[in-house]
Amino acid sequence: MTHSEATEVLIDCQSVWKVFGDRSPEAIRAITGRGLGKQEVLKEFGCVVGVSDASIQVRRGEIFCIMGLSGSGKSTLIRLLNRLIEPSLGKVTVKGRDIAAMDAATLRETRARHIGMVFQSVALLPQRTVLENAAFGLEVQGVGKDERNRAAEVALDKVGLADWKARYPSELSGGMQQRVGLARALTSDPEIILMDEPFSALDPLIRRQLQDEFRQLTKDLGKSAVFITHDLDEAIRIGDRIAIMKDGVIIQTGTAEEIVMNPADQYVADFVAGISRLHLVKAHSVMVPLAEWQGDAASLPRCSSDADIDALIGQITETGSDAVAVEEDGRLVGVVTIRNLLLGVRGDADARAA
Amino acid sequence: MENFVTAFDMAVDDALFWLTDHAAFIFDGIRALLEGLYDGILWLLMLAPFHVVSVLAGLIAWRVMKSPGAGIATVLAMVFCWWMGLWAETMSTLALVVAASVIALAISLPLGVLAGLMPRLDRALAPVLDLIQTMPPYIYLLPAIALLGYGPATALIATVIVAMPPAVRLTALGIRRTPTEFIELGHATGVTPAQMFLKIRLPFAVPSIMAGVNQSLMMAFGMVVIAGIVGSGGLGETIFSAIRTLDIAKSIDAAIAIVVLTMVLDRVTQSLARAK
Repeated sequence: MTHSEATEVLIDCQSVWKVFGDRSPEAIRAITGRGLGKQEVLKEFGCVVGVSDASIQVRRGEIFCIMGLSGSGKSTLIRLLNRLIEPSLGKVTVKGRDIAAMDAATLRETRARHIGMVFQSVALLPQRTVLENAAFGLEVQGVGKDERNRAAEVALDKVGLADWKARYPSELSGGMQQRVGLARALTSDPEIILMDEPFSALDPLIRRQLQDEFRQLTKDLGKSAVFITHDLDEAIRIGDRIAIMKDGVIIQTGTAEEIVMNPADQYVADFVAGISRLHLVKAHSVMVPLAEWQGDAASLPRCSSDADIDALIGQITETGSDAVAVEEDGRLVGVVTIRNLLLGVRGDADARAA
Repeated sequence: MENFVTAFDMAVDDALFWLTDHAAFIFDGIRALLEGLYDGILWLLMLAPFHVVSVLAGLIAWRVMKSPGAGIATVLAMVFCWWMGLWAETMSTLALVVAASVIALAISLPLGVLAGLMPRLDRALAPVLDLIQTMPPYIYLLPAIALLGYGPATALIATVIVAMPPAVRLTALGIRRTPTEFIELGHATGVTPAQMFLKIRLPFAVPSIMAGVNQSLMMAFGMVVIAGIVGSGGLGETIFSAIRTLDIAKSIDAAIAIVVLTMVLDRVTQSLARAK
């Protein structure tokens, strides 16, 4: 994969609004004309703003998480990406094409070939076997039975359900059903998969297992995904980047480390307060820069700048040294002391200054 | 006021006379068609002797209900009808019910599907269906007898009218009640409108549609018996003539035969509905 491909934007969602309600056209005019906000729109027009001025970019190969509590507009936002819901304002492009401008046939084609979707409710057709469910996307596209069944078998193999092809959805556990849902999305081989809270209804152990498998599978197959969740732990486990939503607004977008170390506001700060920093915070965010270090750095044990706190604790306890030197591109850039580590674990953004 | 009512009644009578005078060929055609269908089905049912038909019915019940006991009970019930000396009447009633149900379903299933897909049609149909269902069912015999005369054709038309509403309603309900997540799945997968109907809406509607078929069949049974008044033939007419001559024993025999036939058809179609 070349560099330009790695940063290619697959879904570009630009200042998108969704306003629900009978008087939404008036409300939209007021938003564009007078710059009204959410609260004023609700008061003046009785319209609920589901998504307010949201912009996200999903790049090729990345897993983009949208995290928010119920009612935050995340489910509306993901449905704007494949036009299950029409945006009131703004523009969504998929692979460079404006989906609002597509006619019915082009939109069907785009959904069938380029954007798969997995639902929280799984939505497996109860009258069909697991194999027939997994082949549904190709069946809709008019692919012949042998060919679509072969593709469905390959997808079911990938999610570990090769032995369950002839069963009916009702015979499967919740976790297995969601694997079929994922296999169904993979069978059509789309570049982008929209995941609408797929694991929220599962018990914690199965959920973690599926999270890891999903991430692995997505990376192995080189897919891109938009993943909706109300669970920050899940977002951090799965997402390359995370957008945090509240009341229809995207408050902050960034990597897990950026969000945990530099929360945009008190709401995000409260959210990340309980998150374990052990695997999130890297040496470069807690180290004392080499220039400010008083002692002899060269004799300390070395670590790379993206070693996490967990690895640093291991290194310190094993070597018996009180500090570790941080190395980047073969030269020393800073030092992490036990004190820095403790502050890092607590999640103080200014651990470096301490 | 009285004058107005008299004028209205006369207008209705005149309209009926006009129809019988000027559109007789249409009603003769309808009558021939209905009686042809009825005669054809009856001819099929009477083709084989009673024991062959009884065993066949038993086999169908066994296969559909997946219970040998149900099969044996069906055979015994049918043989009982023969034993009471009512075999021909029973078959003729069955032929009426089947003919009326086939016509009623041929109209009401497509109508129900359309009503399920188009809320405005559904709203327009609702008062019509309400009217049909609240009127006493023998009302429909009167205009039919005026236009089609005495005989099975009149019985069939009245029965078709009475049998339609449940199938229309339950079909529309089944089509309308597709769980929203599956509609969403269809859109997200990129289905065409035809695929949405055939692969998603229809499979979910099948149990409701089958319940409608079962209900229509039961309505048809009730009406076919009432239609004995207009010379429908079959068990209905047996009961009607038994009542006129106060032959209570005979009317009870015929009633038992009706109950037997109804139960067999009801159980078989209910199992069909559940099997899906």
